[in-house]
Amino acid sequence: MGTEWVAVGLSRDLPAGVAMPALWQGRELAVWRSASGKLSAWNDRCPHRGMRLSHGFVRGETLACIYHGWVYGTSGSCIHIPAHPDLVPPATIKAETFLCVEAGGVIWVGAAGATDTPPEFAGYVPLRSVATQADAAALAQASGLEQAAQGLLGSTAAGGVCLILSTSQTKTTIHALAAKEADRVALSRWLDGVVRRAEERVLA
Amino acid sequence: MIPQAVLDEWYPVGMAAQVGPPPGRETMLLGQPITLFRDSAGIRVTGPDGDLAVTVAYGHVWACLGTPAHALFPIPEATQEGRRLVDCGVVRVKCSPLRAVENFLDIAHFPFVHTDILGAEPHTEVARYEVQIREDSDEVWATKVHFYQPQAAKSAEGGIVTEYMYRVPAPTASVLYKTCPARAGEWDVIGIFVQPLTEELCDVWPWMALFDDETPMADLIQFQQMIFLQDRSILENQIPRLLPLDPGMEIPTQADLTSVAYRRWLKRKGLTYGAQMVAA
Ligand code: FES
Ligand SMILES: [Fe+2]
Repeated sequence: MGTEWVAVGLSRDLPAGVAMPALWQGRELAVWRSASGKLSAWNDRCPHRGMRLSHGFVRGETLACIYHGWVYGTSGSCIHIPAHPDLVPPATIKAETFLCVEAGGVIWVGAAGATDTPPEFAGYVPLRSVATQADAAALAQASGLEQAAQGLLGSTAAGGVCLILSTSQTKTTIHALAAKEADRVALSRWLDGVVRRAEERVLA
Repeated sequence: MIPQAVLDEWYPVGMAAQVGPPPGRETMLLGQPITLFRDSAGIRVTGPDGDLAVTVAYGHVWACLGTPAHALFPIPEATQEGRRLVDCGVVRVKCSPLRAVENFLDIAHFPFVHTDILGAEPHTEVARYEVQIREDSDEVWATKVHFYQPQAAKSAEGGIVTEYMYRVPAPTASVLYKTCPARAGEWDVIGIFVQPLTEELCDVWPWMALFDDETPMADLIQFQQMIFLQDRSILENQIPRLLPLDPGMEIPTQADLTSVAYRRWLKRKGLTYGAQMVAA
């Protein structure tokens, strides 16, 4: 079995200099992009006092925790403690890191040390991400798409579509990709309808 | 099961001035429903098993679910001539009551959480200060704490180096003493009285005893509320929600010696409500 690659967002929703929360196999992560564009995914917990690193701020090639400003480099190591500016932080102060790569406009997270690569969806381009309370089964039924390894795949009147799903106990995030020749506006509207019907099923 | 040591402590349960006749105010203490009301006997607090021990002090009502192990801690400044006593209301925070107290003891966050008010970059250094667990009073104390502040208080103009002293006289209460901008040689006194609703939910009641006759009451309260709302954005986003008492889960530095002493004191006294004992 390969690495459990999980899509945590679309590339264009995470510009340089921004950090965001993400879920990976029930773990809460902070995913951030440095000024030069490098992506990192870490446990969403500052080793100092447990503050969520996804609330931190990106400065150049570093992420600083919002609570006491501890600064971490892209390797995850703490490189500066503002309360003790002259101290060189011990190497043991390090955020827990995961693999984070981009493929086809989608950001994927995998276990540290994974050797395989995330799935590719040749011929598809990112459409948008939607969060919903509906689960994968409800979305499959509402969309009429085929269940595939990484989500739901098939064609609609507006063209081909692929819905990559990442789920937690309470919500599902859909990363929608559109076939290159699809009608993006119509497909986006179709997606809204799928989500609405799936949510109605949840409530019913 | 809640440890007996926890049940035998005093906890704030409301502002004395707000307690009215029955049915009164329904709230919670250590996960149990309680009711505060005023009758001919004075302020009473009732729980599932009847009346609780009650003390009224520092503008607030304090209750004990067990048998009080000692009298409520003293704040001598509360009766000092010339001080203005300010009840600041309440801020509800989804966090461990112990995390709320620990945050109050922390100065290293000022430049990042209370930016341009209680601290500002590049003035981030926390110089060495002194910390003790005082055996006579059984309190945690930090003294000789110095920090540069752009606007230390509502009455402060411009940046100054403020000196602080902190004390933890009860598991969920802390009192700080800070340089008084209006009167050299005196200390402003600010307390937070934290009501443990559950292990992961608390009501924070800030209280002040200040030498400040000028600032309107509403402005004093608003200043303190603003500071606590900034703290809340942190406190509701720490993982885990419970305060880890065993070393290893979090990494303190020299700036955190007050928090280290507070955790050690809680652990030694078995005051583990709101704490996590085993590294997860
Ligand atoms: S919790 Fe992150 S720097 Fe203190
Ligand atoms: Fe604060």
